[in-house]
Amino acid sequence: MIQVDDLALGAPDGRPLQEGLHLRLERGEALLLLGPGGCGKSQLLRVLAGTVPPRAGRVRVAGIQVWPGEGALALAGRVRAGFVFAQGGLLSNQSLRGNVELPLRFAGASPAEARARAEAALERFGLAPVAGLRPHAVSAGQRKLANVARVEAFGPELVLVDDPLEGVEAADHGRVAGWLRDWIQDAAHTVVVALEEPGAFGDLTARRLHLSPLSPAEEPR
Amino acid sequence: MRFLARLGAPVREFLVFLGDQAHLVAQTVRYGLKLRLDQLGAVASQIRLQIRFTGLDALLLTCGTALLLGAVTLIQAFTQLSGLGARSYIGLLMVLIILRELGPLLTAVLVIGRSGTAIAAELGTMQLNGEVDALAAHGVNPYQYLLLPRWIGVLVAVFALVVFFDASALAGGFLVARFKEGVTLGVYMDSVRDALVNRDLLATLLKVFLFSGAITFHACRHGLAIRRSQTEVPQAVTRTVVSALVAVFLVDGLVAAFLYA
Repeated sequence: MIQVDDLALGAPDGRPLQEGLHLRLERGEALLLLGPGGCGKSQLLRVLAGTVPPRAGRVRVAGIQVWPGEGALALAGRVRAGFVFAQGGLLSNQSLRGNVELPLRFAGASPAEARARAEAALERFGLAPVAGLRPHAVSAGQRKLANVARVEAFGPELVLVDDPLEGVEAADHGRVAGWLRDWIQDAAHTVVVALEEPGAFGDLTARRLHLSPLSPAEEPR
Repeated sequence: MRFLARLGAPVREFLVFLGDQAHLVAQTVRYGLKLRLDQLGAVASQIRLQIRFTGLDALLLTCGTALLLGAVTLIQAFTQLSGLGARSYIGLLMVLIILRELGPLLTAVLVIGRSGTAIAAELGTMQLNGEVDALAAHGVNPYQYLLLPRWIGVLVAVFALVVFFDASALAGGFLVARFKEGVTLGVYMDSVRDALVNRDLLATLLKVFLFSGAITFHACRHGLAIRRSQTEVPQAVTRTVVSALVAVFLVDGLVAAFLYA
């Protein structure tokens, strides 16, 4: 599903974060990206999603060349990908419901189907009462849950999750952790999760890639 | 060498800017043509929003400005040309000054001030908040969802505003002609009709198309170029106003040169 060769990552200010990164991830596999803050985990997720170009190297997703190339535009309409952002990631001029529905509408779902799937996902994460509100009107935790609900409703084959519990209220940790476990165990999805420490996800059956600045070392399975 | 480099830097920047603009237009057309029928609903809602903001919300301002401009044009004409038979030039003056030149041009200036700036600020803020990346990451092509609807929305709105601008300016001119010189509506409209040629319609349509493209893509380019901080937003807005105005005046001159020279 994911093929990364000789990848070099840089921070937005140009600082090198990683060099010579190689990675192969089969369809249905899960990968935990572990490492301290600032070592390039989030940047690697963005590169895999095709929203940020790497400093060097090649990235293919489902056999489609993402970098060098058109990035996410190469995947649009060909590979269904979902991204749970650490912060933000929601359109500020749309309600939470609108945010969850939009990828479905663009993927070709009818308005009724998109609405039904969005409602079900929002309900699952306790967001039904605030579904009609825009992101600025809800708490940071609810915004994060809306990110998760969007992925849940969209049903992507590739799921990228940046720090799944960041910003989530303690009462909702179990709900998000349970959701992530379900998705990782489902062979229909390839999941990449970025975390500083395994913490609540330490027992997950997933490959682990420890990143430290400029010295990647993939652990054996 | 340093002098030459300093001389060449703005030229290089300008060429890069032109290249970026051409890339944005080409990509928007390319992905616009790839838009599927089942995606039209999501894009149409954005087009409606843009038409409402750029067109409907600016209608009163545009009509008011045009009414005054039409009236002032004929007040000046009657005052300055009173001894030269200004009455017989009413139609020609209105067509030459308002319909041919100021109608599309002032409409474009109003749209740059209201909508070009808003598009640049909105896209810039979206870029900073990671909203553009979020769209792309979920298979929503930003060219199809952000740029295409804004282009079509601005195109439709500018066309409608130019029609209303011209009509309001003619109405303002007629009010002055009626109350200052006692000209009847029939005589006034005949005079305007006699002065109009098919080329004027072609020129107006061409200007509407080119102006709306220039305004939209200048605003989108400056907005999407924002990368680092909120302080870049007002800078992008200022750049949009300046570069879109230059582009619009340049296009206006070129159209006049090609069609009327």
